[in-house]
Amino acid sequence: MSIPFIAVPLILASIMPLIGKISKRFLPDLLTNTAFLFLLLYSVFAGRQTLLNGADVWKAWWFGEALNITLVLDGFSALMLLTISLIGLSVALYSINYMEHYEAKANFYALLLIMIAGMNGLVLSNDVFTLYLFLEVAAIASYGLIAFGLQRDQLEASLKYLLLSSVATAFILLSIAIVFGLTGSLQLDKIAEGISASNGLPVAGFCMALFIMGFGLKAAIVPFHAWLPDAHSSAPAPISAMLSGVLIKVSGIYALTRVCFTIFGMQGGLGQVLMLLGIVSILIGAIQALGQNDIKRMLAFSSISQIGYIILGLGVGTPLGILGAMFHLFNHAIAKGLLFLNSGALEQATGTRELDRMGGLARKMPITAGTSVVGSLAIAGVPPLNGFWSKLLILLALVEAKYYGLALIAALAGILTLWYYLIIQRRAFFGKLNETWNHITEAPFWMSFSVLLLATACVLIGLLFPAVILDWIKPAADTFAAGISQTIGLLGF
Amino acid sequence: MHIFLLLGLVLCSILAVFFSDLLKAAISLAGASVFLALVLFEMGATYAGVFEISVVAGLITVLFIATISLTEKKEDAKHNKRMRLLFPLVFIGFILIDVLVMSQYLVKLSSLAGPAETGVFGQVFWGGRTFDLVAQIAIILAGVFCVLALFRKRSGDE
Repeated sequence: MSIPFIAVPLILASIMPLIGKISKRFLPDLLTNTAFLFLLLYSVFAGRQTLLNGADVWKAWWFGEALNITLVLDGFSALMLLTISLIGLSVALYSINYMEHYEAKANFYALLLIMIAGMNGLVLSNDVFTLYLFLEVAAIASYGLIAFGLQRDQLEASLKYLLLSSVATAFILLSIAIVFGLTGSLQLDKIAEGISASNGLPVAGFCMALFIMGFGLKAAIVPFHAWLPDAHSSAPAPISAMLSGVLIKVSGIYALTRVCFTIFGMQGGLGQVLMLLGIVSILIGAIQALGQNDIKRMLAFSSISQIGYIILGLGVGTPLGILGAMFHLFNHAIAKGLLFLNSGALEQATGTRELDRMGGLARKMPITAGTSVVGSLAIAGVPPLNGFWSKLLILLALVEAKYYGLALIAALAGILTLWYYLIIQRRAFFGKLNETWNHITEAPFWMSFSVLLLATACVLIGLLFPAVILDWIKPAADTFAAGISQTIGLLGF
Repeated sequence: MHIFLLLGLVLCSILAVFFSDLLKAAISLAGASVFLALVLFEMGATYAGVFEISVVAGLITVLFIATISLTEKKEDAKHNKRMRLLFPLVFIGFILIDVLVMSQYLVKLSSLAGPAETGVFGQVFWGGRTFDLVAQIAIILAGVFCVLALFRKRSGDE
């Protein structure tokens, strides 16, 4: 039964302002974190059930009447739900201390919970219009969360994101309308049948292009990435972690792959287009990250580069490539979430995001520095951390498919990644301590606890990667590779 | 009947553009959406009608009105006369393109598979698209909380 993934955050969000009237901090903190802990445990349970019993199709009933609410939980959805819940819990724990200096904590939690409900609904939906609606739920909540601090740069970033996101949704909606006109259905499996029966109409290719542009904008793939550095660097740190760690993957990568691959398969050069977009994103993201002085902007550009790796792996289209892409999606969510949370701790302690003004902070903030090293090395792909295995799988898939040139570029870009992450470490944490920061101390307990949780996940996933791949990543990749034929069988079409 | 609905749609759309009062413009836009939804129902596109009436006429109008009611009324902006002349020209251009291009496109569409998911409003809205209602409730909540969060300083000052 998958409905708690949507119902729990939505119901809690709707009563959160009332809870905020009773208790400004304690009850909102307690209830939100309990809800996230429940969602994480439930996603582990649901994932195990999916592994043992196959995809689960849940239909809603109301006093004996069947409602047209069908939630499909397969291996791919289970992996995404686990990712959302894990990062969500870390962000909620971190927010206990971090959001203290913002007003209206209950409203913040309400918006965060709605964003989670939106992402969970998107992941569990099998209907392209419902998917679009939940995409909007998550997007609207994220506009509010980015601008939550009410600073000028935050409002500007939120507006920029809103405008570009509206363009993305216009593309997506137009494509949905044309697909509906072509096939007479909004269900992914039925649309897939209709499109394959239409026998290669040019308009189907047009729809595919619109979906790639729309979801590509949401995923911030180059050249649709202009909004991301502003939005992700201006938002409060926990929200940057949610956006970079999860939202761009759910509303961009997940939606793109679910819709495009289910409907169109790997036909019409889709793989080549994705590989091209992937490699360009890897390079441009990495090169732009190198030139940044603002730590959050550097991390934001790094996200564009790492999304490129995921797209590249998906574009190869082989089982190994898809496996590597799924694993990198999961690993990047954890490591980038960790790094954004650490950047928030640095900003809160020093009042700046500029690397030039930091230096030697490892002595004052050992937990933040230590976990930052783990996160940086994980994303850069240093063994035995989790990011190493996922990048290795993507590179092996490229070599196996005889894309030697792309494999070489991706490997060299990995060195660039290591370079700019070492720059962050050296300029922020090592070297001589800037005297201005003599008074600062380590981040408060819950902020440190949440980053330790994610850093431990980076190490453990790296060390136990065969088990993680077998239990979580392979079922997701198998579901993805097989399209949703499994679901079609279950639904009885 | 079609002509009457179309005229209502065009009239409301023009009013939405020309009203300088944001509240009146938002209500005119909602009126245009209702007319558009009726046109869609009349032409048998029940699904599109349901989406139009529930998302645009209902939900977006609520958000518009909520936001407008929270903003301060400032002095009327100066209207550029050129912009006022530009709109009728763009409108006429749009009608010409519509007649010349879209009519051909619609002829092509008629040869494609007709929509399979049809039904009366109640069936489609309550029976066929129940899950969308959950998402729409979530969108309304998101919009309301965004307004509460982003206007919190203003309400605190007052």
